[in-house]
Amino acid sequence: MNNKIEINNISYEYPRGRKVFINFSLELNKGETTVITGKNGCGKTTLAKLIMGILKPSFGEIKLFGQSTKDMSLGAIGEIIGYVFQSPERQLFGTTVLEELTFPLLFKGYNREETMDRAEKMLEIFDLKKVRNSYPYFLSYGEKRCLAIASVLMVGPEYLILDEPTASLDKERIEALSQALENLKKRNIGMLIISHNKDFIERHKDRIINLEGGSYE
Amino acid sequence: MNNIDPRTKLIQVLILSTLALIYNEITLLSIILIAAIMIALINNVNFISVIIRLNKLLKIIFLIALIQSLLTNMGNPIFKMGNFTLFTDYGILKSFEFILRMGIIIVSAAIITTSSSREIIQGLIQWNCPYEIAFMVSVAVRFLPIFKEEMTDIITAIQLRGIDLKKVKLSKKFQVYKYILTPITVNSIMKAKELAAAMEMRGFRAYSERTSYLVLKMQKFDYILLGLSISAALLFIIITRGAL
Repeated sequence: MNNKIEINNISYEYPRGRKVFINFSLELNKGETTVITGKNGCGKTTLAKLIMGILKPSFGEIKLFGQSTKDMSLGAIGEIIGYVFQSPERQLFGTTVLEELTFPLLFKGYNREETMDRAEKMLEIFDLKKVRNSYPYFLSYGEKRCLAIASVLMVGPEYLILDEPTASLDKERIEALSQALENLKKRNIGMLIISHNKDFIERHKDRIINLEGGSYE
Repeated sequence: MNNIDPRTKLIQVLILSTLALIYNEITLLSIILIAAIMIALINNVNFISVIIRLNKLLKIIFLIALIQSLLTNMGNPIFKMGNFTLFTDYGILKSFEFILRMGIIIVSAAIITTSSSREIIQGLIQWNCPYEIAFMVSVAVRFLPIFKEEMTDIITAIQLRGIDLKKVKLSKKFQVYKYILTPITVNSIMKAKELAAAMEMRGFRAYSERTSYLVLKMQKFDYILLGLSISAALLFIIITRGAL
């Protein structure tokens, strides 16, 4: 097992035939925060989905800490890499905010008390305590995004992919998110952040990749 | 020949599926299936694409046919295992009937898909189908791919939280289904409410008379095709009335 996410010579084209990556390679290090920027449609989200195994490259291979995504199920990938979707409501499925946070861990048989403690911390960090019993659909967009991030963090991933994490968040929530990410970094958790928010990028970047036409500078 | 009027296609499909339901004989069902394939070819149906898209459904159909054949005890045994009769001639005949009938329905559905949903809805409206009902059908058709996409996203999201659905026991899988169905149901209700509000705001049914940008017009070829289809169906019924 190594400490890298390796994207080796992958090619990918959309179902309607537009090629987005041709022989694209990239290495992401554990413990490092990489920020991806680029124009709309340049393939930022597609790259994230390829790493997560949601999309399959037509050629090439992606290795997560030494293991090829071809040999891993989505569940196995999700245990080591957390992914926050661009549209948070697409990844919320619980009937309450608390259940959204705790369900995956309780389902897998984790200790109830520990899970609840962890959920309480997340509710505190992301200022979701007052909506803990609300149905996620009825939260504001910013709250939904915070909940999506918190639920992904609950699983305790080794690496995190955040697609536009600051979109529609107010200043206070961006600050809370930034602090949470800084804490994760201290625990050597690497991150791939797709963002257009300059201040946020400046604060978190170790490396910036500007995607353009399926390649980068 | 993709400019065949959707109403012509609808009538052809109605004839084919009705015939598929009223006949039980393999020979007659085979003739109807051949006729359906010919009509589909006239309508430029891409059979390879249909087979690829319905791959899973076709497997289920064959599985049902096999089970039906295994569970039928009537008729003469063809294959026995000890005292247990696996296949009888009657059972095999019945499963062939089922496969042929499903084949006709699938080919009929494929004929319909050669017209866009907008054209089919417009066809219904020009047949004096109430606009509200035609609109509801069009909304249902329009939202189906969105629901499918949402469902895929939720299943992906659940798996990405570290739950390997393939390894989950059947008893626990039902627990997961709740988390798939709840957001889909709630989202559908909320979407319906939002759509209703958006329609009201844009003056839906503000005027009793409604005009359309797309107006369908039956061509000479449509009438010929319709005439041939109806007469062929009537002739077929008259010749084979003994089998009904």
